[in-house]
Amino acid sequence: MNQLAVELTRQAGAHPAISVENLDVVFGAGGKGVTALAGVNVTIPTGGLVTMLGPSGCGKSTLLRALADLVPAAAGEISIFGRSPRLAREARDFAFVFQDATLLPWRSAIDNVRLPLEVGGGAPKHADPAELLDLVGLKGREKALPEELSGGMRQRVAIARALVTRPRILLMDEPFGALDEITRDKLNEELLRIWQETGTTIVFVTHSIPEAVFLGQKVLVLAANPGRVREYVPVELPFPRRLKVRDTLEFVQITAHLRQLLEEC
Amino acid sequence: MADIAIATPSRYPGKSRALWMIASRRWPAIAAVLGLVVIWEIITAGFHVPSYMAPSPVEVLAAFRDNGQTLWSNVWPTVFEALLGFFFGNLVAIVVAVWFVHSPTAERAFYPVAVFMHTVPIIALAPILVLLFGNGFTPKIIIAALICFFPTLVNMVRGLRAVSPAALDLMRVLSAKKSEIFWKLRLPSSLPFLFAALKIAATTCVIGAIVAEWIGSSFGLGALIIEATYNFRSSLLYATVLVAALLAVLLFSIVSLAEARLIRWKSPVVG
Repeated sequence: MNQLAVELTRQAGAHPAISVENLDVVFGAGGKGVTALAGVNVTIPTGGLVTMLGPSGCGKSTLLRALADLVPAAAGEISIFGRSPRLAREARDFAFVFQDATLLPWRSAIDNVRLPLEVGGGAPKHADPAELLDLVGLKGREKALPEELSGGMRQRVAIARALVTRPRILLMDEPFGALDEITRDKLNEELLRIWQETGTTIVFVTHSIPEAVFLGQKVLVLAANPGRVREYVPVELPFPRRLKVRDTLEFVQITAHLRQLLEEC
Repeated sequence: MADIAIATPSRYPGKSRALWMIASRRWPAIAAVLGLVVIWEIITAGFHVPSYMAPSPVEVLAAFRDNGQTLWSNVWPTVFEALLGFFFGNLVAIVVAVWFVHSPTAERAFYPVAVFMHTVPIIALAPILVLLFGNGFTPKIIIAALICFFPTLVNMVRGLRAVSPAALDLMRVLSAKKSEIFWKLRLPSSLPFLFAALKIAATTCVIGAIVAEWIGSSFGLGALIIEATYNFRSSLLYATVLVAALLAVLLFSIVSLAEARLIRWKSPVVG
């Protein structure tokens, strides 16, 4: 192992993927500002898969956007592999998957996957766009325009686009929220497969309790007014998980616990 | 995969079949036009309408035959003015739109000026420009350009702004530079809006050129219209108007073809 690799390993070991300390996010300036998040503390380990759950308006998307440097912190600190969100963004440490696939309609599937390599000075390392489309199950549809693809396929392209820069963290904001249940189940299973194949740290926002439990090693439950951490619930279900796991007693117990937490919020 | 792709119809199922489909879809329009021409002929012949008041279709056809040379030599100046006006009017409109989108101050300062210019009737502006620039091509090109300018400016500003907040978030996460956001996001997504305006401009630039030629010009379709009117050469007048209309239709078709080539995705714009 060369010197640089040793250094990188040491650094990666020294910091968790994401650490948030006493984070406040306030929308609007002055006295009329609305506090979206107050005193949020959370640590997400490297290679972990954490889901975020909460009632609407609890700030789960805001927390994700703060990690992605899309929303500024009013107070507190966010560290991504020991760096500020801005530096992490410029270093392409993370990629973001939005609720809408947000594909450019004039670009074919593969050209949409290439977009991150063409802007922002490119990426220090990158994956082969064709291989990624294969990974998300879209082999043979490389030349298709987004309007020729179904909602599920478009979201697969968006995931491939996020993976093209080989990010260490994948931030996903209700990516399957607009899809039908069957497609969502399928993509959930595939996301777990991709997570295990790539070793990427994943933070996944959802408003579906079963989805949060099925995907997460831990579920971060947020409460609203102001947005704050309610509980950080571990999910002790073994990987690889199949959809059948949702019929087990453990699964049902965790979802029941989470449902109760959300009702108290 | 459970996902089902939306079927894409193959574009060309065979040229002759495509032609046949166009013909079968368009025959009511073709029949209607032919019918109107026949009624026109019957009225002018049946009621003995004098030729100087309203020529019959046959007489208009004869005018094409007798005045072919005159029409041909006068169509080119108008084509030249309309095309240059189209080019410069739209070019300036696009550049100004880009400027407005990047500088709110510039927009606040000059948008009212643009609106004011648009409210001045182009026919009233023509004599002023003739006085300023003489009797050559310049005032005609400027008027053709002015008439194109405003719709393109408005549509282009709208188009450049019609970018979803999510797409801008995506570009920000990718650390895209302002210029990259412009070339890779704003400009392509404005194209449907731009072409909606260019299709308007394709016909109005011909109007602009002809109106400009009405004011003391000695060449062009506009001048020919004035001359034919004053000399009661009605069949020549009708022939000239037909040529002007055909010119506008031709330009419109060229822009529509370019649009179909360039914009292959569906857009939320009503063109």
